[in-house]
Amino acid sequence: MALMLKSKDKTVSTKTKEKAVSNERIKPKRYSIERKEARWGFVFTIPCLVFFAIFAFYPIIYAFITSLTDRRAISRTWSFSGLENYIYIFTKDNGGFPLSNSIRATLVFTLGTFIPMIIISLIVAVFLMQLRKNRQRAFFQFVYYTPAVLSSVVAATIWMILFDPRGLVNQFSNFVLGTSGVDYNWLVNSTMLQISTMLVYFWKYIGYFVILFITGLAAIPPTIYEAATVDGASRWKSFWRITLPLLKPTTVMVSIMAMLQCLKTFSTQYMFHQGGAARRPIDVITMNIYFTGIRNGRLGRACAMSIVLFCIMLILSYLQLAFTRSAEEVEY
Amino acid sequence: MKKFLVILMALSLMVTSVFANGNKEDKPITIEFWTHEDANRQLLEDRYIKEFQDMHPNVKINVTRQAATSMIELVQTAFAAGSGPTVFNLSINDEYPLIAAGRVAPVDYAAIGYKDAAELEAAYMDGMLAPVTYEGDIYGLPLELTNWAIFINKKVFRDAGLDPEKDYPKTWEEMADISEKIAIRDGDILIRRGFDFRYPYYLEAFVPMVEQLGGALFSEDGTEAIVGEDAWVKFLTFMQEWGPNGRNLGSPTYTNARSLFNKDNNDIAMANTGLYQEARIKNDNIDFYNSGEWMVVPFPVFEDAVNDVAACYYGHYYMVNADADAATQEMAWEFIQYMLSHGEEYLETVQIIQPTKALMESDTYKNMPYSDVFTQDFARAHIVYHAENSTEVNALIRAAVEAVMLQNVEPKKAYQDLKKAVQELIDEG
Amino acid sequence: MQKFVGKVRISEILIWIFLIILTAFVVIPILFMVVASFMDAKQILAMPFSWIPSKKYFTSADRTFFTNFVKAIRGNNNQGTFPRNVLNSLIVALSCAATTVILASLCGYGLAKFKFRGRNFVFISIMATMMIPFEAIMIPLYMVTQGFHMINTYWGLIVPFMVSAFGVFQMRQYLLTFPSEYLDAARVDGLGEFRIFWRIVFPNCTPVIATLGILSFRNQWDNLLWPLLVAQSETMKTIPQYITKFAEEKLTDEGAMMAVAFLASIPMFILFFSLSRYFLGGAAVYESRKG
Repeated sequence: MALMLKSKDKTVSTKTKEKAVSNERIKPKRYSIERKEARWGFVFTIPCLVFFAIFAFYPIIYAFITSLTDRRAISRTWSFSGLENYIYIFTKDNGGFPLSNSIRATLVFTLGTFIPMIIISLIVAVFLMQLRKNRQRAFFQFVYYTPAVLSSVVAATIWMILFDPRGLVNQFSNFVLGTSGVDYNWLVNSTMLQISTMLVYFWKYIGYFVILFITGLAAIPPTIYEAATVDGASRWKSFWRITLPLLKPTTVMVSIMAMLQCLKTFSTQYMFHQGGAARRPIDVITMNIYFTGIRNGRLGRACAMSIVLFCIMLILSYLQLAFTRSAEEVEY
Repeated sequence: MKKFLVILMALSLMVTSVFANGNKEDKPITIEFWTHEDANRQLLEDRYIKEFQDMHPNVKINVTRQAATSMIELVQTAFAAGSGPTVFNLSINDEYPLIAAGRVAPVDYAAIGYKDAAELEAAYMDGMLAPVTYEGDIYGLPLELTNWAIFINKKVFRDAGLDPEKDYPKTWEEMADISEKIAIRDGDILIRRGFDFRYPYYLEAFVPMVEQLGGALFSEDGTEAIVGEDAWVKFLTFMQEWGPNGRNLGSPTYTNARSLFNKDNNDIAMANTGLYQEARIKNDNIDFYNSGEWMVVPFPVFEDAVNDVAACYYGHYYMVNADADAATQEMAWEFIQYMLSHGEEYLETVQIIQPTKALMESDTYKNMPYSDVFTQDFARAHIVYHAENSTEVNALIRAAVEAVMLQNVEPKKAYQDLKKAVQELIDEG
Repeated sequence: MQKFVGKVRISEILIWIFLIILTAFVVIPILFMVVASFMDAKQILAMPFSWIPSKKYFTSADRTFFTNFVKAIRGNNNQGTFPRNVLNSLIVALSCAATTVILASLCGYGLAKFKFRGRNFVFISIMATMMIPFEAIMIPLYMVTQGFHMINTYWGLIVPFMVSAFGVFQMRQYLLTFPSEYLDAARVDGLGEFRIFWRIVFPNCTPVIATLGILSFRNQWDNLLWPLLVAQSETMKTIPQYITKFAEEKLTDEGAMMAVAFLASIPMFILFFSLSRYFLGGAAVYESRKG
């Protein structure tokens, strides 16, 4: 992800991509080479294509077809039922865990996680760029990134203990709020439970997003700031007038990637539920798919939900493309 | 030409398979055996497997052990993909749908030395094979059948000024009052709990409470779900009172009671669990086991109970994949029977009950501490609800209980939501 | 800059306070895991929490500071499969990292530097696979894996994750800006296309290769759902499986849980400490591209 962002900035700053494309277009002298090129391009991409055909295209097509059937995991036979599953998941309760609730849980989690994450990681990145020594900056980057190397299972295990009524988080909350012996119900109250999952996610990925923003900031030519300083702009002004607009492409990219990641979140919610937390408040779409399909064996219905999630993500990615295209128009 | 080749190949395949079937002792047989993880059982079973393989050199048994909670997901996925283990065990509510869907094979009575279904049934306690009997055939043999009673730590009782022998809870109302006396809190936070429930197991341990009050999961004709509004609302109110928004006696988010119980750390006084807990106490904390500072009492009832119902018993049955070929199926049943022929050893070392008449009447069982409590509760209990949708029903009851306990939803509202959702489940069939 | 000294000081102090608070938030849970792995469960949930593992909380006589680690390594069944499970995780994660790097750079190169009919279609379809929720394709994927007889083998754990759409995307974006003149020069010199790739393109992708390799290593190290289905025998299981299985039995032994979490994190920590330059990738890549 880091890289993509980076090349994106590159594209923006130098328009290399445009150039590359147009270069290829204005090469009429290469008629003989063109066919050869096509052949080699094919040769280089074919191993991956074969891979994706078997391990991604086939399964998703299979899932789509299954979504049109009444298939259950253990039944030997099944029949086509048209759009029944789709109608069902949008109108019925799915055994008390309706898709509408899952969409709500996913959206709440996504918004509640990625907006603070984007804002805070942007602030942190700007702050880090203000530090006088590169080594200080490197130190903080390093520290903030550390949680990201822990596996999600480990992260959830640690936080489950921290969120115990007798655990550190509750003790800390009591300390900060000047109370004593209050149980803040971190894993109990449905609002707190949602906040807890967001907190874990935030903790795990904050460093990652800080680094993405630092990359974006590093791409802004220092000469621009120098010019601004000469013009007498304050730091605050130069942040709003220069840094932020120039970071727009980065911000758009980072936030949309973060959003897609949040939409796919699974392990924190799953581990928390396994550990005794209620399911409904944190029943994100992926978890509902998992329980409906893998645990309850309703393959047809679970596949229909997957296709819905797939479509949501496709639409958001389309928006991403649309956004970045407009973002690319930003000029230095 | 091509057609000819295909026919030739098909023919040769048929011929070889006929010959292979004809000589079962020599044909190599592989049995994929999936079971849930249990450290104590594993020691025994690894030995049985080795012995069985020594007796049948052509048989290879591959064991897969998984955490109990993820077992059903694995088995289901494997079956969905058209494979699945040869021999496996799951809890009965997960297994029953496999019988109905025709994915498992009936017992090979001859292979295990019985004449027919009736004779096999007679070897077990009454009704123990009923859950796996389908259209006159028996589809599984019990690895264990378990019911839960209440384990008590006498030291904690005395510490709270109670006499365990006299004051132990007979009703749920007493259970709450006693837990209140035992509880130690730091503000709202429970440091020591009296009793706490066995949370994710709603069908086994919570539905009987509703039944005591005259409610039921389903009407007798099976068309109506969550029967008896008063009973369910009273039960849900009791749970709400129990939870952090009520008298704050416990909650599903605290460490589970039964594992905490073994530690004897003055954290918990009572837990709801089975006879096998005795083996676990012995294993985890031999000093506590030997101290005699624990006891077992029957499953309580509500003060105004109309039915005397104890916690449901539930079981794990060994089953055989119907897709395995005839020789493998036969060998698989032979293998199951070989393992189950060690009932007394299972009971002695792991304390799980394989409910054969012979075992239940043996001295080994009778001499086991508090086995009489379990036997009496068996008589007051029925098998756990098992059907195609039992996992979903359990999840819904869980959601309802969590709603009243944790999110402080009105019991009446939770009841209505529960009823609506379960009704929807059975209506769609 | 000098004229802002007064202002800068205050804002700088505020910045430092902010950064340090965030540092505490990030570090405390990790530190907690480390110290708790030496503690008795009694101490972990004691109020107030004390950070120094202490003997006075020990609940049994034969307990030492390392009891948790002994339990963690022994596992639920005393069979000591822990080292083997760590090894499995390493094998799988390393293989996936290697294959991802090679396949993604091949494909990214093909997409970035060659024109052929359907190129955009290929690119977009590969990108679309990023949107597939894994839970949705678990069962079909299991069937494919079974069709190749790869259940319960390393192949089954590795092959479905040999390359990721994201990897292809990264490599393509990186190579888009790779100067075509170098390639043309090499062609003029008579180098074959594969040689150009191996000798010129691949070596010039080192930073992005490292970042991508680490990313895919991390993803596989973290993978839980798939091994749960595919790795069936004890000797094939991976570390996340070991932890979840361990948790099932030792749910109440918070100390042992933290010990197993800590042990399982050590390989990643070592990797992170020694290769942090690449973990903190983006910036590093940027630097080297400039040069």
